[in-house]
Amino acid sequence: MTGRSVRLTVNGRAATVEGVPGGERLLDTLRWRLGLKGTKEGCRTGGCGACTVLVDGASTLSCLTLTHEVDGSTLTTVEAVADDPVGRAVRDAFEREGALQCGYCTPGFVMALTGLLKERGRSAPVDELLDGLQGNLCRCTGYAAIVRAVRAVAKEGSA
Amino acid sequence: MAELELLTPSTAEEALAALRAGAEGEVAVLAGGTDLLADLEEERSRARRLVSLRRLPWRTLDWVGASLTIGSTLPLRDLELDPGVRARLPGLYAAVHAVGSVPLRHRATLGGNLGRSAPASDLIPVLLALDAEVELLGPGGVRRLPVDRFVRASRVTAIAPGELIRSVRIPEARPSAFLWQRVRPANDISQLAVAVALAPSDRRWRVAVGGIPPRATLLAEAAEALGAGRPSAESVRRAGESAARGIRIVADRRASEEYRRRLVGTLLARAVASALTSPEAPP
Repeated sequence: MTGRSVRLTVNGRAATVEGVPGGERLLDTLRWRLGLKGTKEGCRTGGCGACTVLVDGASTLSCLTLTHEVDGSTLTTVEAVADDPVGRAVRDAFEREGALQCGYCTPGFVMALTGLLKERGRSAPVDELLDGLQGNLCRCTGYAAIVRAVRAVAKEGSA
Repeated sequence: MAELELLTPSTAEEALAALRAGAEGEVAVLAGGTDLLADLEEERSRARRLVSLRRLPWRTLDWVGASLTIGSTLPLRDLELDPGVRARLPGLYAAVHAVGSVPLRHRATLGGNLGRSAPASDLIPVLLALDAEVELLGPGGVRRLPVDRFVRASRVTAIAPGELIRSVRIPEARPSAFLWQRVRPANDISQLAVAVALAPSDRRWRVAVGGIPPRATLLAEAAEALGAGRPSAESVRRAGESAARGIRIVADRRASEEYRRRLVGTLLARAVASALTSPEAPP
C-alpha cells in the first residue's frame, strides 16, 4: 500500500502531504515530513504530553493520532504558537520565569496550556490550568518554575 | 509496525459493511485511538484494518428530562465540560476527569473505553453504579445491554462480530461519586476505584469496584448493607466489610491484595459521604 495524500493547514499555511500510510502518527508527519521538530517524541503512548499540538484548537497528543484522522484539520505547533496573543503570553511567561531545564517537555507544556486557555478562556482559574497540565511530565522535575509560569499567565488573564 | 489500512465510513451502514469485510482479529474499530494506537505501537494488537468512527454522526449528548444519552464517539472532554453532567451526575464527572489528561480526553471516547474494556477502566465502575445501558448496532439491528452484561472480563465484551457501540444511556441523574487511589495522582492507572450512586426513585444504592483485574464488579450485598437513603455510620462500615469480602481481590504490579482489601472500605465510606453532598441527595 502506498498511502494517500492528506490536506492540512499547519501554522497558517495549507499543506498537502503525499503518500501518508494509514498507520502514520501525526507526530511523525509533523517531524519527518513537515520538518517541524519542535514537537517532541517522548513515550509515544500518551503518557508524557511532550508531543501535544493543537488540532482545530484542541490540545491533542500527536503520538496517539493518525494523520489520516485529522485530514482537513487546522494544526498549530509550537513553532507558530506565538503568532497568536494567547500563545505568545504563554511563551513569554515560560521565558520570563525560566520555566525549563533541558527544554524537551517545554513545547508540550506550552501547547497544552495554550489549548486550555483557548478552550476555557483567558481568565480560567489557575487551579483549573494546573489541573489541566497533569498529563505533561518534566523528567528534569523542573515543576516549580513551570508552576510559576502558569500562575503568571493566570494572573495576567484575571487582570 | 506493519502497514495499516484505515477506513473512514460516513454512515452507520458503511461502517457495518466495513467491519464485515475483514477477517476476524484483523479488523479493529478506531474511536479516539488513545488505547488502540498505544496497543498497536507496542504490538499488543494485530489489527491490520481500522474502521474509524470519526465521520459518524454519533458525537452527541442528549438530556431528556433526567436521563442522559451519550453518543459513543463523543470525546470525553465534551462530557466533562457539560454543566449538566457536572451538576447532576457528579460520579460520572469525577470518573471522566480521572481519565488520562485533557489532550487525551479531547480524543478518547466513552464508546472506546467500553469497547476496549480495560480492567483498570475508570469509567466502567461508574457506569455500573449508574445502571447505564449500552446500545449496540449490528447487521441484525439494535440491541441494548446493561453495562454489567456488556463487560465480560478483561478486554472481553458481549459485542458480537460486526456490531458497533452507538450510545450509552444513563437512566437518570443520581447523587453519585467516584473515588480512586493511585501511586501518582496524575496520569496514572487506579490501584482501586469505587463508584456509588443513589437512585432517587427507590432510594437504593448501587456500588461498584474497579481497578482490580479482570473487570469492575457490581456489589449487591454492599449496596444492600447501605440500606435506603442516607445510611448510618454503622451501615457504611458494614457495607465496606461486605465489599472487601464480596470481590475476588488480587495482587498485581500496581497494588498488593492486602492494600486493596483495606482500601475498599475506606474509599466506599468516602464515596458515600461525597455522594450525599450532592444537591439532589436526600435529607
